Amino acid sequence: MKPGDTIKVRTKENEFTGILMPNEETDSVIVKLDNGYNIGISPKSIVKKELLKNKPASDTKKETPLKKDPKKKTITVLHTGGTIASKVDYETGGVTAHFTASDLIQLVPEIKDIANIETDLVANMMSEDMNFSDYQKIAKAIQRHAKAGTDGIIIGHGTDTLTYTAAALAFMFEEIDIPVILVGSQRSSDRGSSDAAMNLICAAQFISGIDTSGVYICMHENTDDDSCVILPATKTRKMHTSRRDAFKPVNCGPVARIDYIDRKLELFNDIYKGNKLTIKPELSDKVGLIKTHTNMSTSLFEFATKNYKAIVIEGTGLGHAPTSIGKENLKKYEILKSFIKKGGIVAITSQCIYGRVHPTVYSNLRRLSNIGCIFCEDMLPETAYIKLSWLLGNYSTKETKELLPKNLRGEINFRLDPGDFY
Amino acid sequence: MDYEKLGFMCGIEIHQQLETHKLYCECPSIVHDKDPDIFFSRKLRAVAGETGKVDAAASHEKKKDRIFNYQACTTSSCLVEMDEEPPHPMNKEALEIGLQAAHLFNAKVIDEIQVMRKTVVDGSNVSGFQRTALIAVDGYIDTSKGKINIPLICLEEEAAKKVTEDDKTVTFRLDRLGVPLIEVSTDAGIKDPDHAKECAEKIGMILRSTSRVKRGIGTIRQDVNVSIKGGVRTEIKGFQDLKSIPDIIIGEISRQQKLLKKGEKVKSTVRKAEQGGKTVFLRPMPGSARMYPETDILPVIPSDIALDDIELIDDKVKRYGKEFGLGEDLAKKVAKSAASATFEKAIEKSKVIKGPFIAETLISAPREIRRKNDIDISNVSENQYLNLFALIDAGKVPKGAILDALVAISKGKFNKDAYKGVSQAELKKSIAEIVKDNPDKPFGALMGMIMAKFSGKVDGKVVSEIIKEQLK
Repeated sequence: MKPGDTIKVRTKENEFTGILMPNEETDSVIVKLDNGYNIGISPKSIVKKELLKNKPASDTKKETPLKKDPKKKTITVLHTGGTIASKVDYETGGVTAHFTASDLIQLVPEIKDIANIETDLVANMMSEDMNFSDYQKIAKAIQRHAKAGTDGIIIGHGTDTLTYTAAALAFMFEEIDIPVILVGSQRSSDRGSSDAAMNLICAAQFISGIDTSGVYICMHENTDDDSCVILPATKTRKMHTSRRDAFKPVNCGPVARIDYIDRKLELFNDIYKGNKLTIKPELSDKVGLIKTHTNMSTSLFEFATKNYKAIVIEGTGLGHAPTSIGKENLKKYEILKSFIKKGGIVAITSQCIYGRVHPTVYSNLRRLSNIGCIFCEDMLPETAYIKLSWLLGNYSTKETKELLPKNLRGEINFRLDPGDFY
Repeated sequence: MDYEKLGFMCGIEIHQQLETHKLYCECPSIVHDKDPDIFFSRKLRAVAGETGKVDAAASHEKKKDRIFNYQACTTSSCLVEMDEEPPHPMNKEALEIGLQAAHLFNAKVIDEIQVMRKTVVDGSNVSGFQRTALIAVDGYIDTSKGKINIPLICLEEEAAKKVTEDDKTVTFRLDRLGVPLIEVSTDAGIKDPDHAKECAEKIGMILRSTSRVKRGIGTIRQDVNVSIKGGVRTEIKGFQDLKSIPDIIIGEISRQQKLLKKGEKVKSTVRKAEQGGKTVFLRPMPGSARMYPETDILPVIPSDIALDDIELIDDKVKRYGKEFGLGEDLAKKVAKSAASATFEKAIEKSKVIKGPFIAETLISAPREIRRKNDIDISNVSENQYLNLFALIDAGKVPKGAILDALVAISKGKFNKDAYKGVSQAELKKSIAEIVKDNPDKPFGALMGMIMAKFSGKVDGKVVSEIIKEQLK
């Protein structure tokens, strides 16, 4: 008997008829009754199990190519996995890899009124499992579709590491001539309250409504279903585990706002428009990210300096690391010092997230600065990690050290606006 | 009317709110909260359910494409109600009550309870679905017209309350959203409209027997399913009042009969109970396509949960009469009220004072004090009641002083020494003086003067005997 079959289960007290459901978590038999409820029956209470009807074969529809409207832009939606735009097969419990244009249009019919839609399944994974090779796969897909003439790309992505991917793509494309918008969803698309459709529609509206290029993120602006914001790829962070408006620009404001009700677009910055596409796709996996804390073990510093070419320190406050007082902490200082001397790179960021690090305010900061630690201004720790990986993948150590504190893709803001902290 | 000949089929569903925290978060179940301080708005989409079909009721609502405005209070709603945080595990106390109710309905508890999402896109559930779990099956109740089956007992969350509505927007209040509900459904075996009322009463009594259900208007709702030969099942929602059940059923029968006489097809619909036995169309009947698993919550294994034994209110009434000599009326009042636990504790410890005195005090004293003194003594705790009964039982506070003592306790000014009895000799002396000073006054007036003098410190019965003796 397999999931989807109609079965009859007799227990000591009852008899249940329904559809057998998949169950990977417990050993009980889960049956979907006629009234829609699922119940779990313990194997201990089962007297007899009987197959009544095999699972009906699913009708495989042929994909009919969608007609293109020449007056509309063409948007390619790349799917990489995660909650957004994925279809759950409730009978097997798995997320189906079938992700066609018509699937997407069935899910979000409004999108075909905005643009011609093409789709491409690049990956199907939860974003916490992503590796640099996945970024390269996505970048290649972008390149391919850009060459084929698409007007813009939407990437459906799991939210957990969406900002890492956004930063990686922003660095990998040295020049870009189409907009690439990463879109996630904090409520799965199988529920009526999902934010997936609105985030997708707003992203499509942005691509269709303005002539621009570059990598951006499009997510809910607040808890209401009334507007989305376009966020910068290198300065955005997931700041809440579950809210729709979890994605916030850090040390800057959003790029644009799309009103979901009247579909109006509001721009907050001058917008870039490139005219060609060049890519530096290499990423080094010899970079580590360390968060400092009190009572920190020296062995972590030993491990990092032994295994990486570069380390991003997510320090405390203005960029402190526990390297000044006490035998162990002084040992950590010496470890960093000799690491840098031998060509290692140490980037300093802050776990405060908001604000800028500073190399000279306190003597302990100066001690780090003196041995050659590079203070990364107001760069997010995760962005510094991606940037360093990209720099080391494509440039020499010397060039990397020079480029790290320079603003390449909007990752550094040299003037902080008081309104950008909330 | 011959209901059997009519092909009368009728079942009821009872939804009873529970007196616990909300079902899937730690918010208290305050169903009438103060002025809202959280405001947000959402849109909902009809989505294909587990079987890949969009539910008829869901797509009916989606066509309206309305904006839902929500109002909430931080005292009774959190991110969970706002659909901004995943649900917490099912409230254990609510589940216990559900399982207790299942036993009282003679039902069989499911081995492994699965929480489901029932698609609801009319805005009354912020998430777009209502969480519901089938916890027991195949129960029954005994009625005057035979056994009525209770095929399903579910534990679900209450929906938000609609405040206003127009073509473009609907406004809801969230305080009620997530309050646990037990849903008890009978099969279609109810014999006639009056029998439906009897079944609803019996189910209500059983649920109240768990003593952890909410009381008052809106905390229990009845839905009735009715059909006759040639017609189809119609669900009538939102009865607040048991008495109206027979009239509304009779009204629905004649509506279906009229349609059938005109040769029209009766559509399967959900209708709302209006005053005067009428119903109005709400939406098409939802099908099983609207249910899919709530993947955020692990299944619950109820056999791990230990339950206390519960006595039905009806059985309690009988026992109070038999064991403690309460009249039926008083026994019912105590058994139904929250005071029944206090009553049982007090009577267990008492050697002298009897059941009727304790019961009468618990039921009538608060009302009498409110009427006479305009004081609300609901702040008097169970322990304070028990201590007072103990003092009376030990003869340290006279029975007649109980109202006076309760007022003092409520005000925080109770001093048991103030009730130290007046000695018999002292009392006799005082009475003799008063009788002598007022030779012309009748018995009642003398009684009044003496009771006023010893306010609450003496027993009226004793005083009256002494006066009678002295007047001889």
